[in-house]
Amino acid sequence: MRRNNYFELIWYKGIADLHAEAARAYVGFIWWILEPLLYMAAFYVAFGMGLRGPGGGVVALSLLCGLVPWKWFSSSVQNGSGTIQANSGLIMQVYLPKYVLPGMVMVTNGIKFLIILGLLMLAMAVAHGVALAWLALPVVVLVEMLLALALSTLAAAIVPLLPDLDLVISNGLIVMMFMSGIFSDVDRLPPALAHLLALNPMVHVIRAFRTVLLGKQWPDWLALGGVMLFSLVVYGLALLLMKRYDRIYPKLLVG
Amino acid sequence: MSGETIIELKNVGVRYRRKAGFMRSNAFWALHDVSFNLKHGETLGVIGRNGAGKSTLLRLLAGILAPDRGVVVSHTDRVSLLALQAGFIPALTGRENAVLSGILLGMKRADVEARMDEMVRFAELEQFIDEPVRTYSSGMRARLGFTVAFQADPDVLLVDEVLGTGDAGFKEKSSAAMREKIASDKTVVIVTHQAETVRELCDRVVWVEKGVTVEIGEPETVVEHYLESIKSGSRRP
Repeated sequence: MRRNNYFELIWYKGIADLHAEAARAYVGFIWWILEPLLYMAAFYVAFGMGLRGPGGGVVALSLLCGLVPWKWFSSSVQNGSGTIQANSGLIMQVYLPKYVLPGMVMVTNGIKFLIILGLLMLAMAVAHGVALAWLALPVVVLVEMLLALALSTLAAAIVPLLPDLDLVISNGLIVMMFMSGIFSDVDRLPPALAHLLALNPMVHVIRAFRTVLLGKQWPDWLALGGVMLFSLVVYGLALLLMKRYDRIYPKLLVG
Repeated sequence: MSGETIIELKNVGVRYRRKAGFMRSNAFWALHDVSFNLKHGETLGVIGRNGAGKSTLLRLLAGILAPDRGVVVSHTDRVSLLALQAGFIPALTGRENAVLSGILLGMKRADVEARMDEMVRFAELEQFIDEPVRTYSSGMRARLGFTVAFQADPDVLLVDEVLGTGDAGFKEKSSAAMREKIASDKTVVIVTHQAETVRELCDRVVWVEKGVTVEIGEPETVVEHYLESIKSGSRRP
């Protein structure tokens, strides 16, 4: 199999998984919209309601600016961590370089995210109007995509070696979620704490979405550049790991 | 080109780990010590009883697994299993599955799509190709799976056990197609426990028992020894 074919495979399989998901459910692709709506509604009820009063609408939109990108990130890492296991039948039949598997997860989740982001932008446009700064959105999306792909691939590479880590990752994601500035503005925290939270790359991604969509300002390019650099390093590391264990993963799935 | 060594196995062993209780695992050697050469254009049979390590050997040749000891020297990267129904997703249509499976087996999407009509005709699925595969009978699935896998044309084709699949009529047709491919100067490895298949189709035979190569040579001789060992019930190491 030639290399360029793998990209075709990632793309086609990612789309096919999306189709399959829709074909299985009764209302099909409506779920791609409904599921995140329910998810966001749950958080809105839990956290948003208490904050209502004057400016309640802004709080809700601000919450969405955090939840939408977070959902994409966390489901990518979560799905990535199980992807070698989930495709065990396949990788026993056909040789595939394992990095294609989290790539497929990326395509499936990325398309779902773009649909929701479109809805969010529509809501923003209706409520506050559009702004020139929205032109920065593709860059912010790209940065998050790299970050999600990197951590998803890293999780995919490690979990088959240490299956117990799967639980650590799902709980780690919950902790990380509360430290991502979804529910509170990180800038209003005491400086010492804010510095600590700044180590979490999702803090910068979510802040960028909020700055661009809600604040109508250009994002902090330097911070985004930092996240991008971090993602590239992590992705490189994950690819090395995958290469090292490429023909060993199938054996781990047998035992 | 003919007669050149394409893949070389030297004292190869493969070990699986099995979980055995809390924080413990046992090593299990599916292959201990296997050596042989695969030459360009030949049809090599691998014969042995169930549990001899034949499937592991195929995965090793296909590059799916790495050996834990010994070396595999391969002069091609286009080696693949005749993987039936690889990556099939029941919720998708036959057409989508054919494309997906084809790409997985190394074909280009455009090539699969270009050959689609021909494939549909061969698989006799004209009326069903746009229906979800979950509505197919197992015979229909087997027909589609074989047809797609047969289209992928690797340098070295690895075949597990049976040549033909599907219902009686299609079995004959698919088996004939396979025989034709084997008779051409394609390099093929057939793994089986059926002495007949080997005698009929192979140029050379490797006999593997309990993960060790017992004998390599002419089909007539090796198969005879293999059958004798089965009859006497003894298992040579």
